[in-house]
Amino acid sequence: MAKKSIGIRRTPGQKAFRVFAYVLCIFLACLSLFPFIIMLVNATRDTPSIQSNPISFLFGTNLKRNFEILTSKDMFSPWVGLKNSLIISVCATALTVYFSTLTAYALVAYEWKLKGPFFALILAVMMIPATVTSIGFYQFMYRIKWTNNLLPLILPAIAAPGTVFFMRQFMIPALPMEIVQSARVDGASEFRTFNQIVLPIMKPAMATQAIFAFVASWNNLFIPQILLTKKEVYTMPIMVSLLNGDIYKVEYGAIYLGILLTVLPIFVIYFALSKYIIAGVALGGVKE
Amino acid sequence: MKKILALVLAAVMVFGMMSVTAMADSKITVNLWSFTDEIPGMMTKFLEAHPELAEKFEVNTTIIATTDGAYQPALDAALANGEVDLYAAEAAFVLKYAQGDASEYAAPYADLGIDVDAALAEANIAQYTVDIGTRPSDNALVALGYQATGGVFIYRRSIAQDVWGTDDPAVVAEKIGAGSGSWDAFFAAAEELKAKGYAIVSGDGDIWHAVENSSATGWIVDDALNIDPSREAFLDLSKKLVDNGYHHDTTDWQEGWFADMKKDGGVLGFYGPAWLINYTLAPNAGEGDNSSAGDWACCAPNIGFFWGGTWLLAGKNVVGTEKAEFVRDFINWVTLDATEDGLQYKWANGTLNGEGGTKDCVASGTVMAKSNGELEFLGGQNMFDAFVPANAYANGKNLTQYDETINTAWRDAVRQYAHGQVSRDEAIENFKTTVSDTLGLDVG
Amino acid sequence: MKKTKSFSYAKYGYLFSIPFVVAYLIFSLYPTINTVVLGFTDAKGMAGLTNWHFLPFEDLFKNFTTVLNAPTFRKSLVNTMILWILNFIPQISLALLLTAWFTSKRNELRGQGFFKVVFYMPNIITAASIAILFKALFAYPVGPVNSLLTNLGLTDEAINFTTMVWPTRGIIAFIQFWMWYGNTMIVLVSGVLGINPDLYEAAELDGATSSQMFWKITMPNLKTILLYTLITSMIGGLNMYDIPKLFNDGNPANSTMTTNVFIYKQAFSGSYLYARAAAASVIMFIIIAILSVLVFMMFQDSDKKMERAAKRAAKRAAKKEVG
Repeated sequence: MAKKSIGIRRTPGQKAFRVFAYVLCIFLACLSLFPFIIMLVNATRDTPSIQSNPISFLFGTNLKRNFEILTSKDMFSPWVGLKNSLIISVCATALTVYFSTLTAYALVAYEWKLKGPFFALILAVMMIPATVTSIGFYQFMYRIKWTNNLLPLILPAIAAPGTVFFMRQFMIPALPMEIVQSARVDGASEFRTFNQIVLPIMKPAMATQAIFAFVASWNNLFIPQILLTKKEVYTMPIMVSLLNGDIYKVEYGAIYLGILLTVLPIFVIYFALSKYIIAGVALGGVKE
Repeated sequence: MKKILALVLAAVMVFGMMSVTAMADSKITVNLWSFTDEIPGMMTKFLEAHPELAEKFEVNTTIIATTDGAYQPALDAALANGEVDLYAAEAAFVLKYAQGDASEYAAPYADLGIDVDAALAEANIAQYTVDIGTRPSDNALVALGYQATGGVFIYRRSIAQDVWGTDDPAVVAEKIGAGSGSWDAFFAAAEELKAKGYAIVSGDGDIWHAVENSSATGWIVDDALNIDPSREAFLDLSKKLVDNGYHHDTTDWQEGWFADMKKDGGVLGFYGPAWLINYTLAPNAGEGDNSSAGDWACCAPNIGFFWGGTWLLAGKNVVGTEKAEFVRDFINWVTLDATEDGLQYKWANGTLNGEGGTKDCVASGTVMAKSNGELEFLGGQNMFDAFVPANAYANGKNLTQYDETINTAWRDAVRQYAHGQVSRDEAIENFKTTVSDTLGLDVG
Repeated sequence: MKKTKSFSYAKYGYLFSIPFVVAYLIFSLYPTINTVVLGFTDAKGMAGLTNWHFLPFEDLFKNFTTVLNAPTFRKSLVNTMILWILNFIPQISLALLLTAWFTSKRNELRGQGFFKVVFYMPNIITAASIAILFKALFAYPVGPVNSLLTNLGLTDEAINFTTMVWPTRGIIAFIQFWMWYGNTMIVLVSGVLGINPDLYEAAELDGATSSQMFWKITMPNLKTILLYTLITSMIGGLNMYDIPKLFNDGNPANSTMTTNVFIYKQAFSGSYLYARAAAASVIMFIIIAILSVLVFMMFQDSDKKMERAAKRAAKRAAKKEVG
């Protein structure tokens, strides 16, 4: 930890800067919190009042009723959805982060002939518009009978080109090869060096990408929706989307409650990982 | 780290194996695909009423919401593989499955063993639902609904009283030109209402369904885009409404539209089917002293139309298997059974899930004739009096499988013109370009 | 000696890449190749994905020329660029500013942990929920923004935002900016956290100011991460789909229809023009690839220089520790 410099006298310019910074940050924070407050408020209101006045800061009295509507629906069972979503997102996130770091390490730490082309391939994969390929993916999974199976939502996470790219970019300045060399001198195997020396240095990057990967996986709807059609394998977002299915009679109060329940677990993960991104000092580097 | 990794991999494998377990069961499985739990709920009731079938058959339900357009690609893949026995289609995309690209996968009701002509006549099924469910290639009926969504004009009694001195449906019907097929009387009435500070409708979306349905031809004729004069006229109707301030210029399903349903909404009425009354107007009428409930009534519209609905189809591979009988019985019970044991009688009277449920219009005129459609919300009026003829007026012959996309593009073009963003010709030109580029249709 | 060393370790480069390659080959390659191939066929209609034929040789690129000549595609390309620039410039500027503030050792702002967490929050809600929320905000003729504007006396009549081209583009660009600046900021902050702390310590001892440290240490060391941000944001921006589709379906008058919305509409809005959608996807891929190469070339020089500088610094630091 860097020692706090005590008793620094601030010039008027610095003071003005701090006021400006705080005002901007507080304004941005309000903007960020706004949708969550609306969501929270609407989860307690009844559908007609949401329809005639969607944005309100006054809590309603309909929370219990909304919960009853939510759970009365045959397809909405929060525990099943939570379990499935957690399995998919936790596994997918772990695979993405671990294997992307490993792949990035291969790209940074070693000199091999196909390294350049391989990196170019990873970048190219990132650039393909996913709109049309997702249907091809579905048809493929359908053909090998992997519908209603969680694996097609987990295993592809091993190849996450965007994450590999990030890890590589992070690793280049953050990982001094001298450490790797000295580990080799100590007789550590390459794999062990990676797990015990490289991974800790990559912590801030891994935490960042873990949050992104988890959120993306958790909120993913299109592919899960067409692959998972049995109640036992529904994820949380699928259950919420089914509440929306009856276009003539939409229970908005219950939907907001559903969305809220869906968002809550993300918060837990996010706050658990956020210590790595809010740390005031560098975590990486050579210090041991 | 290694431990975590090991755990993760173990979990992955376990769940991978769990999810591919085969079902060992001697029952015959019927695959039902739907986009809401409505038809699966009916299936549950059907099996309860027929325990002997429940012993022999097992229903495997697949529900995929229409959100993001996910239902159709999944259903299409399953249909192509012959793995769907019963499936539901909504008005927005039923044409594709009953008449368009996917119609080849549907089994004609007749092939299932239903005496179609006799059953249709006996139940007096609304003609437009039959037209929509009839496959043009062989003129076979492949889809029918249980609801009827023919529309009427649903108006505020107090406003009619204030402007015309009476709330009698016959008078209001005459004022808006009921059955005239034109908008002349409607605009005359709008002028009278404006003088008293009222709007005749809330937004141009309210008249769109009537305009759409009044056209003699659909959007596509001989594989080319066709702008029917009556649909083209929507440009002028919408502009006239905006320029003269005859409506509140709201957009359907938005805040302003819902607000116009309240007591001081100041809007004479809404064009809509029965579900609009039960699901939209009633919950949004307001509460207590500010409620408009009871102040509403239905009368015949100037142009017949329908809005929404769900159709039920059977997969063609069902024919000739042991499932055929079960599928036939269920379809028959849902779509054609006009007795008091049939689904539609319970649906019309709101008794499917016990007394006091929501009453709705059904496809069978026979059923509605013997059902009670009185609603307190309509001041005690029997809504079926207005809806039975309305269902007969609706037109099911001018629809295409491209309608949802084309309608969206058209309504945007009209909105642009009505609000003075583009000229009339530009609006039509932009619309044609969009249709040509996104649907690959010849636009002439 | 050096040569033999790097040679003997080369196999690990291949070895550690295997999981990625295998997963990619199994799950992504087939749909991708499928897309490219479809671009040269007549795949159309519901059965189009299973029942198609290659176009005759003289017409092999017909889908590509059709797409390139379609006014809607050209317009959507322009829209995409406009929307991306409108949201990216404020997004990266704000993210950089916040990164500078939040990583400055001298000018520590209180509650920055809270701010960092909160600023990312818009990114965790689904695009669908966000679109609904903003639709409600800008509703016409009554809605929160409109009543605010009339109450403040800024306008006499309610504004029908979604019928007007630039306001709708502005709103969509704002939503994108608002959803993603926190994400970009976190990426940049983590990049700064990865910089060797000894560099800062040394600079501090030399009496460098905050802004000197930012420009002389943070920015050069952040280049690789900035490159990542630029490339991913460009790819994400050119593939923008959710918000334009959900907020106003690409309207008014197709002015917010992005190329991806157009691709989606071709493929799934009634005609199932799979072949053309695939061709449009390939065209987009080529455009993105060209732009990415340009960006890479721009960064190339500094990238190399920086790599060397980082290594030198690390060496110095390592020496210091040993000594």
